[in-house]
Amino acid sequence: MNNVSHPAKIESRPGHGSVTSYVIGFLLSLIFTLIPYSLVIHQSLDKNALLATILGFALLQMVVQMIFFLHLGREKKPHWNLFFLVSTIGIILLVMVGSLWIMSHLSHGMSSMNVTDKIVTGEAIYQVNGVQVGTCSGNGTNHRIVLLGNVPTPRHTDAQICDTLTIMTQDNVTRALMFGPRAKAETYAGETSVSVSPKQSAVITLTQLGTHTFHDRKVNGPTGDFTVTR
Amino acid sequence: MEADHELGGHEAASDDRVGFGFWVYLMTDLLMFTVLFATFAVLRNNTFGGPTGRELFSLPAALSETLILLTSSFTAGLGMLAARRGSKNQVLTWFGVTYLLGIAFLALELREFTAFIHEGHTWHSNASLSSFFTLVGAHGLHITLGLLWMGITLVFIWVRGLDSHLIRKLTLLSLFWHFLDIVWIFIFTVVYLMAFV
Amino acid sequence: MREFLLGRLNAHALPHEWFTIGGTIGFILLPLLALAVLVRIKGWKWLWGEWLTSVDPKRIGIMYFIVAGFMLIRGGMDAIMIWLQQALTAGNAHGYLGATHGYLSADHFQQIFTAHGNIMVFFVAMGFIFGLINFIVPLQIGARDLASPFLNTLGFWLYVGGVVMVNMFFGIGGEYAATGWLAVAPLSETQFSPGVGVDYWIWSLQISGIGTTIGGINFIMTILKMRAPGMSLWKMPMFTWGSLCSMLMVVTVFPLLTATLFLIFFDRYLGMHFFTTNLGGNAMMYTNLIWMWGHPEVYILILPAFGVFSEVVATFSRKSIASYTSQVLGMIGVTVFALSVWLHHFFTMGAGADVNAFFGVMTMVIAIPTSVLVFGWIATMYKGRIRYTVPMLWFLGFIGIFTIGGMSGVLLAVPPADFQLHNSLFLVAHFHSTVIGGVLFGVFAGLNYWFPKFAGFRLNERIGRSAFWCWIVGFCLSFIPMYILGIMGATRRLDHYDASTGWQPFYILMLIGGLVIATGVALQVIQIIASVIQRRQLADFTGDPWDGRTLEWATISPPPSYNFAVIPNVTTRDAFQEFKERGGLPQAKYKDIRVPYNTASGIYIAAFAFAASFAFVWHIIWLAVAGILGVIICVIVRTFNDNIEYTLTAAEIENAERSRKKHILPKKTEEGEDMSLWEFIKIAVTWGLGFVGLKRRVHGS
Repeated sequence: MNNVSHPAKIESRPGHGSVTSYVIGFLLSLIFTLIPYSLVIHQSLDKNALLATILGFALLQMVVQMIFFLHLGREKKPHWNLFFLVSTIGIILLVMVGSLWIMSHLSHGMSSMNVTDKIVTGEAIYQVNGVQVGTCSGNGTNHRIVLLGNVPTPRHTDAQICDTLTIMTQDNVTRALMFGPRAKAETYAGETSVSVSPKQSAVITLTQLGTHTFHDRKVNGPTGDFTVTR
Repeated sequence: MEADHELGGHEAASDDRVGFGFWVYLMTDLLMFTVLFATFAVLRNNTFGGPTGRELFSLPAALSETLILLTSSFTAGLGMLAARRGSKNQVLTWFGVTYLLGIAFLALELREFTAFIHEGHTWHSNASLSSFFTLVGAHGLHITLGLLWMGITLVFIWVRGLDSHLIRKLTLLSLFWHFLDIVWIFIFTVVYLMAFV
Repeated sequence: MREFLLGRLNAHALPHEWFTIGGTIGFILLPLLALAVLVRIKGWKWLWGEWLTSVDPKRIGIMYFIVAGFMLIRGGMDAIMIWLQQALTAGNAHGYLGATHGYLSADHFQQIFTAHGNIMVFFVAMGFIFGLINFIVPLQIGARDLASPFLNTLGFWLYVGGVVMVNMFFGIGGEYAATGWLAVAPLSETQFSPGVGVDYWIWSLQISGIGTTIGGINFIMTILKMRAPGMSLWKMPMFTWGSLCSMLMVVTVFPLLTATLFLIFFDRYLGMHFFTTNLGGNAMMYTNLIWMWGHPEVYILILPAFGVFSEVVATFSRKSIASYTSQVLGMIGVTVFALSVWLHHFFTMGAGADVNAFFGVMTMVIAIPTSVLVFGWIATMYKGRIRYTVPMLWFLGFIGIFTIGGMSGVLLAVPPADFQLHNSLFLVAHFHSTVIGGVLFGVFAGLNYWFPKFAGFRLNERIGRSAFWCWIVGFCLSFIPMYILGIMGATRRLDHYDASTGWQPFYILMLIGGLVIATGVALQVIQIIASVIQRRQLADFTGDPWDGRTLEWATISPPPSYNFAVIPNVTTRDAFQEFKERGGLPQAKYKDIRVPYNTASGIYIAAFAFAASFAFVWHIIWLAVAGILGVIICVIVRTFNDNIEYTLTAAEIENAERSRKKHILPKKTEEGEDMSLWEFIKIAVTWGLGFVGLKRRVHGS
């Protein structure tokens, strides 16, 4: 009953492709192999762009082969095969990204920087054995900047490291203040912007030295600066 | 959902189940490779002063392996089409070509491995090489097992002729073979190309 | 020549210490003796044909229970040995049996806690759960068998291979891994563990792990493709949902374990450098990889137990589960989130605040779907007409203990707290509360609940209740002090400690608790024996002793080999409840069915795999090659064999059904209660004296 000696024929069920689909898949895969290869041989892009490009082509070729060689998505409902594949890809990303993220953080922890310095920076510890190590204790002076209309008062503030800066508004407008000049945003004390509203002022601890500007995100808003010294 | 039907329906449902089960197995195989990839990614630069991939690998050789395997995946697909048409001779031809291409791939890979070992770069040398040999070697082992499976199936087809059971085996085998080529895309990219970025 | 033949095996590998001799007798010779007695009584053909080569998931399920039960005894003895050591060993107390502290040497103590962990997780919990799923899931979904009967038997025998390997070191080798149950690198590398212990560890886990993966694929195929017509996913019983989610996790993470075990094996066997301390190895990557498997593993264990509880609560509250949708979503939620929390096992390894914060938050999040499940069960009980049977008692015990375990887990999820409590006894108490309170109580509830279906008679309720109370009281005596000790600073895995810590009273209390638990286990064994003695009185004639709601109760007890003579059409959840309300199962026409032949290929493949593993442990190259070739050849022979099924005709089924209906007419039985413990003791003593008296009469003295 089971072993039929003459060849069995299976009509082309949906999901089994034709010569065309295999040829297209083959040619596309060929192209998606040769392009990244030549980009690497000729070093045509800089490092990060090259990395992203060749990975992108690999993913593209994977999709091509899945569609044209493996006929993915053409099975009848429910699409369990597709579900398992997508979940597996998700897990693969989780394992790869998770491992790289975790292991790079761990290796940073093992790097040759002085261990105490590393703990101190990471945990924002103010002093070790009575010696101040560079993070803030919170005992500095408070400076106030008031925004009224489009003018900050005072426009320029001089402060010392570990002082605090309170920015408040006297009109009814909520503002987003960004650090750095308008053309090139910067980060200060870990923040790219602070929000100032009638109900809530912004308080920044001045942990970085130098002169820093801030500007309102909207075009006509106030611009001011502060200088932090030891 | 299947209840008991006449034998034909039973066989179709059973084929569907086996194909699905094999697909799930392929997913587990992908996950095993993922561990090897993740380990390679983490340890790739731990050469302990030894040579990096950039110094060891030959991109043209890797490209040849890639193109050979890609072509073999294509010919396996053509072989499957022949199987569905019921054409035994074409099946033997196309899968025969696939088989030879697979052997060529393995030969090139073995040549690369023996060259490294001959120069003293073995899997004992450092973590980076341990991961390289394990990842690429695992893929090569899968190809070898695939060729073994292919050889036996082709002999059965030659002797018995094409029947539904053997066609089902060919279907699973070609799934396996395509999947191995997809894994190789990533080995080529992550191991060989990325060494030169 | 000797080295070629025997690798690194030598006479020293044979047992020559008190515990290796004891272990060989207890765990190798005694089981073999039991097997020999069984063969003597029932015959080898019966054993081979009816059980060992069977592909019937009901038979395979029972075999899983027997092996898992045996391993529960061994794992429990390991626990008692640990408690005893810790109770005896304060300060400069006198050492016994040659040990400096307590009665176990440090190395031996380390092997014991390692074996305890491995056995309980891999061979007891996984074994019981696979047993339950094998027997019950096909019945619940209206199927006759699993999708691949061959893979089922193969998976079982690979599991047995792992069991044999973890017991065999007593007889050959004399040592097990002394590294903790996950054998963290670099301690598990050859440099620090040069003996065969870690190799036994690797291969016992590797073979059974592959068996588990195969089983996972099989169960998924079955649940997704073989449900009765009309049973959509959203109508499946809760135990099937729990099993599906668990098996989805199995196929996701067991491959990660397989690959990681290969990596550590390559380090040890081929001199590679993945996790070594030199030449570029990174031991922390091992911890990362192994916990990527390790954390989802515990959810793999708990989800089927959650499924059992859902069934038990619904049946014994005489209501359907409150909010089926939330329960299913809760299980799916647990499944998805379980994959994103693994770093909480190594917060202290130094990945820094960012990484720790992410994983800490994800760990806390997973408490949410879990609580959805717990509240769902409580809501099911609300306004139900509750019957406090033994399974229901196990459920109530679970609620108390698992909740404590879960809460301590959320506490540990906070990285700063974990920095204090990592690897303390607080952690040990947490995971035992969840695993014992959750998984083991779930297994016990399931065994009591479904025993009538397996055997055709109920289990004794009175002794079952006593067993439960011993477990609960013993558990609290053992593990509540453990939480306190953990906060006081006691770390795990201590084989001795300073008397000035003041910990000894707690350890003694824990030992007493352990002995109470051991009494509970003994009572469970007695419960089974007593039930066998009273089986006619406890017989289940209807197939539905509890007024159940799901399809497995629609068959007689035990079910025929083909489960259902006719696969029913399902229209609702709680399908059997629906049929009962409508007046019975619809009577449809009998049809021919295809039945798989029994097969020994599973046994042969597993035997060759075991031989190869043994060869890897002892570096016997020819045997390794032979084993691998054997596996490949057997696989080829099996897969190219097209003749694997035969037809059971409709007429034969009809005959079987008719003749069976005659048997299930109730016989005249004695009325009376279940046997009490005292009555059992009287029976046992009488039998014992009679046995001795018999011998005396025979020998004429």
